[in-house]
Amino acid sequence: MSITLDNVSKRYGNGQVVVDRVSLEVRTGELFVLLGASGSGKSTILRMLAGLVTPSEGTIRFAGKDVTQLAPQKRDVGLVFQNYSIFRHMTVGENIEFGLKIRGVAAAEREHRREELLDLVGLGGLSARYESQLSGGQRQRVALARALAYKPTVLLLDEPFGALDVKIRSQLRQNLKEIQKTLGVTTVLVTHDQEEGFDLGQRIGIMDRGRLLELGTPEELYAHPRSLFVATFLGAGTVLVGRCRDHHVALGPLRLPIPPEVAHDEGDRARVLIRPEQVRLAESEPPPPAVVLGRGEIVEQNFSGAIRRTRVRLPPLPGVRQVVPPLPYGEENPLLDVVVPALDPPAPSRPWVVLEAWHILRQPTPRLLVCDEGSGIAPALELGKTLVDALDAIPTVLGVAEDSRGQDSLRAALTARAADAQLPEAVVRVRRGNTAEQITLEEREAPYDFVIAGAGDLHPRPGRHRNLADELVPRIRTALLLVRGRPRAIQRILVCTAVGEPGKGDVRAGGWLARRLNATVTLLHVAMPARTAVSLARSHLERGIATLRELEVVSRASIREAATPLEGILAELRSEPYDLVVIGSPLQFTRAPRGSTVTQQVVQQAGCSILVVPAGTW
Amino acid sequence: MSTVFDPDEGRLRRAKAPVSIVILFLLPLIFMPLAAVFVFAFRGGPKAFVHALAAREAQFALRFSLLIAFATAAINAVLGTYTAYVLSRYRFRGQRPLGILVNLPVAIPTVVVGTSLLLLWGPIGLLGRWLEPLGIQPMFAPAGVLLAHLFVTFPYMLGAVKPVLDELEGTYEEAAYTIGANRWQTFRHVILPTLRGGLLSGALLTFAHSLGEFGATVLVSGNLRLRTQTAPLYIFAQFEAGDIAAANAVATVLAVLSFLIFFVLMRYTVRQRD
Amino acid sequence: MTETTGLPRRRGLAPSLFLAALLLYAAWPWLPFSRAATTPPTIVFYGFSIVADVMNDALFPAFQRIWAAEGHGDVEFISSFAGSGTVTNQVLMGVPAQVVLLSLESDADRIAKAGVVAPGSWKKLPEAGVVNLTPFVILVRSGNPLGIRDFEDLTRPGVRIVHPDPLTSGGANWALLAEYGAGARAHPESPGAGEALLAGVWKRVVAQASSARAARTQFENGFGDALITYEQDAIYDRARGKLHADVVWPRRTILSEHTLVVVDRHIRPSERPMIARFVRFLWSEEAQRTFVKYGFRSAHEEWNSDNPNFGRIEDPFRIADFGGWERARPEIVEKIWKERVLHLEAKR
Repeated sequence: MSITLDNVSKRYGNGQVVVDRVSLEVRTGELFVLLGASGSGKSTILRMLAGLVTPSEGTIRFAGKDVTQLAPQKRDVGLVFQNYSIFRHMTVGENIEFGLKIRGVAAAEREHRREELLDLVGLGGLSARYESQLSGGQRQRVALARALAYKPTVLLLDEPFGALDVKIRSQLRQNLKEIQKTLGVTTVLVTHDQEEGFDLGQRIGIMDRGRLLELGTPEELYAHPRSLFVATFLGAGTVLVGRCRDHHVALGPLRLPIPPEVAHDEGDRARVLIRPEQVRLAESEPPPPAVVLGRGEIVEQNFSGAIRRTRVRLPPLPGVRQVVPPLPYGEENPLLDVVVPALDPPAPSRPWVVLEAWHILRQPTPRLLVCDEGSGIAPALELGKTLVDALDAIPTVLGVAEDSRGQDSLRAALTARAADAQLPEAVVRVRRGNTAEQITLEEREAPYDFVIAGAGDLHPRPGRHRNLADELVPRIRTALLLVRGRPRAIQRILVCTAVGEPGKGDVRAGGWLARRLNATVTLLHVAMPARTAVSLARSHLERGIATLRELEVVSRASIREAATPLEGILAELRSEPYDLVVIGSPLQFTRAPRGSTVTQQVVQQAGCSILVVPAGTW
Repeated sequence: MSTVFDPDEGRLRRAKAPVSIVILFLLPLIFMPLAAVFVFAFRGGPKAFVHALAAREAQFALRFSLLIAFATAAINAVLGTYTAYVLSRYRFRGQRPLGILVNLPVAIPTVVVGTSLLLLWGPIGLLGRWLEPLGIQPMFAPAGVLLAHLFVTFPYMLGAVKPVLDELEGTYEEAAYTIGANRWQTFRHVILPTLRGGLLSGALLTFAHSLGEFGATVLVSGNLRLRTQTAPLYIFAQFEAGDIAAANAVATVLAVLSFLIFFVLMRYTVRQRD
Repeated sequence: MTETTGLPRRRGLAPSLFLAALLLYAAWPWLPFSRAATTPPTIVFYGFSIVADVMNDALFPAFQRIWAAEGHGDVEFISSFAGSGTVTNQVLMGVPAQVVLLSLESDADRIAKAGVVAPGSWKKLPEAGVVNLTPFVILVRSGNPLGIRDFEDLTRPGVRIVHPDPLTSGGANWALLAEYGAGARAHPESPGAGEALLAGVWKRVVAQASSARAARTQFENGFGDALITYEQDAIYDRARGKLHADVVWPRRTILSEHTLVVVDRHIRPSERPMIARFVRFLWSEEAQRTFVKYGFRSAHEEWNSDNPNFGRIEDPFRIADFGGWERARPEIVEKIWKERVLHLEAKR
């Protein structure tokens, strides 16, 4: 029997999201492993499959039949808990027979089935024992037999080996594998142990912070992980970052071809995963076509039985940064982890480092949070659509209801509006409470790259009820795109910079958007008389232009003299038909007086859409 | 019993002096008063003892006390277990105050319990004044005694059952659910059997306390011979009237019953620990 | 690890059988097939403490015989005995008392005041509701080691008196009046004499019991040198050889009057004839002579000669000499004892 999860989420009352829009299919008869650290949501998924937890959103189907709301008793699943939860006042036999007894199976047949199961799990003769008289491994097998007794269509196992000695784990794993194969029951096993996952899973799903990151066979996931998390979660390895140049990643002297399935842009950073066993250490420089990183230096060697773990310090590689494992403080060169068969002759102290294989990770997909009110004009949705197309981004539409009664109708309205805006694939979320607060909470809970919201009226009367944009600006920590008026195609972007942070967030974010939207960028510096020396401003702008050039964005610089930054920006906006203003927002350590920051003034008074980039985000 | 286990040295250490001291102060404090009851009960010979015990009022008082104790234990077993289950398994607003409140009866002086029951259910009480015209008068009747005993002994069952439930992992019930047992089957076949020890000790404690309850009973019963007079009230009345033989005969029976209950409790807890 | 079911069930058999037997024993009288199941009509009688014996042992059985002999079948008495004040409080709280025998009329007044019975309804009964009387005497240790002859002797330093508590005990109220009256009548010329004697006695009180009966039990158990109590209590026990003390008849003392109150509102119409018959019976020669036999004095002097144990009192007085309880209670109990004597005690 197949299991299908369709956009299943679980949120708790305090807003904590434990499972975040998980979709997956477990095939009939398959042994599927959910792998993740504790708190990743994998156990919650298992409990949702068992019916012990009801999803907040989404659908669960068994063999195509919707079981989302079905009680656990009616699901016909067998569940083995991590603590086994064997009924201590019942014998092993009574434990196994319990499910049959509940189902009114006759005593003779129960007995027959009990013996069958005891044989299957290898506990023959222990029928009259109590839990307290069993070893850990025996308990686990009793729990398994009990879960299998009534021939469930789905078998669920929650860390079944977690409480056991390492020594007996591998044997019990083999037993479980055989039993599962014999019975052919669709099985989902949850574990945090990567080795266990690899050993047991026909396919594995990797969970992190409530999300199902990747799905595949152990081999696929190990060799071709898409994300950095999966790459490092499964097995050891070193991840280096280089620049994309002409469909290759520049890694020091090497130019590694980027496979076609990895979407990338010129000048982007790309991450290269090198597994320890993919490196060869050679005594002399191998001739082409060997892929040589250079001549390294052995830092550390550890003998551990079959293999020798070696750490090699690479020569300085300009433009290359190491992300995983993090470099120790003071270390400047990349350090590469290598394993070699222990029986091979020891590597020379200054070996040539040859890459036999490597894997280029995919670029992370941008995620957009589109805030919509559910009625009236929908500027955020319209712009969202533009960005989704241009950035190949994943949209989430968020609405905030005042009370629980409004939640359902708002959800319906948002779904319809998302479809109207040609965003049918968007996930719709509805929260309850104060709008600005809830948007901020949502943005903190899930990783978004942009939050899109309506900017509100121009020149709001100060002191009256604050508009949403005004409340969001000081709180939010994600780039915030405030849409004003009917969104136009974004062709001209004005990036307002300040001295002291050249090439920082606002310039990068503006440039990044400009490249993907094919827009031009004007870099503005407002010079206030008797404040900044013009020469300093000029050099600052030049560095900004350099950053944009690197991103291959058409750009120009503009210096305007004005009494205040706001006046300068507004004057620049009047001089050219800009579609978007990009402005940084300082981190708010203290509560500033209302509407007093330049950013907030620009938000209130600029006639076009504004992208607010909080300090430290880009 | 003259040795104790010394955890530091890991061997049995002689402890004559401490044990002697304990026995020395327990003797006048506990042992001798208990002995006195037995001595006085049989001072007039076994015949006088039997005669005193066979008195109609004495028989009634004993039977009435036992019945009330049985009923109290049975009703509180159900109410206490259910309360413990709800407190242990559900999370809700006001849970902590409620948890404290249900344990309050042990802290309230029983006389206060009696007074408050009278002021609620009595003929001049808050509710009682409306019930009396309808012919419902729980006070000064067996029902009143039962009410008082339920009130006074409520925490004992809770105290015996709740720790067991608290200790039971939530997955225990969930395991039963996934296996196919509904709520009732789960309770009946999975929860209840594990509670058996707690239920037994809770019921015995409740029974014992009900058997000995005085403070609240004396107020709510009206102390009517042959109608609401429990054994402790009988003992007190006889003692006050100077009929020490009659008082002691019933007191002896109560003491023996308490010993039996205590004995079973001890044996049971020792067995549990093993 | 605990394991509760591993043991064979048989081990629980003995306790289970014991429990079942206990339950059977307890429930036996109420079981449908037990002969005790049919309940005869009942009379609910509340009495002050010292009448317990005479009622339980003599008068209830006597009336049951009479009632049966008159062809009415069985009657059962449900009874409760406590200090007169306690009984009164219970009646006020609503116990289902039908016939109440109190040791002083002012308790009856309290019941009437609360509206439980009609005011003065007992006055319509024979002897204005007074069932019997008894003078207050002093009980001292055997051989009278302290040489106590009268109330005055109780004021001597070193005498330890056990006294019932006037707040709950009717007898205690009588004792107060006896102490006050004895002083006042001994020195009619000095207006403070009564209070002086009362205060003098109370200075020596070392224990207060909730009822006259309880005070008696305390004294019996060896507490104190003297006890002020009903003559009945003392001579009844002496007649049975149970008195391990001497009785001292003061020259002047009060005769307590014990009032019967019938609580009509707790009597169903069907029970009325039976209870009326019982009340009439209490003043019959048979009952009155029984009271005398148990140490109470009857209002009919001629029957009192039945009991040779009654002592001689030179100057007996009655509540009427104080103008009735309606005057004695506020003037002597409330004002003198509660406010002045007790206050004095508290200050000490």
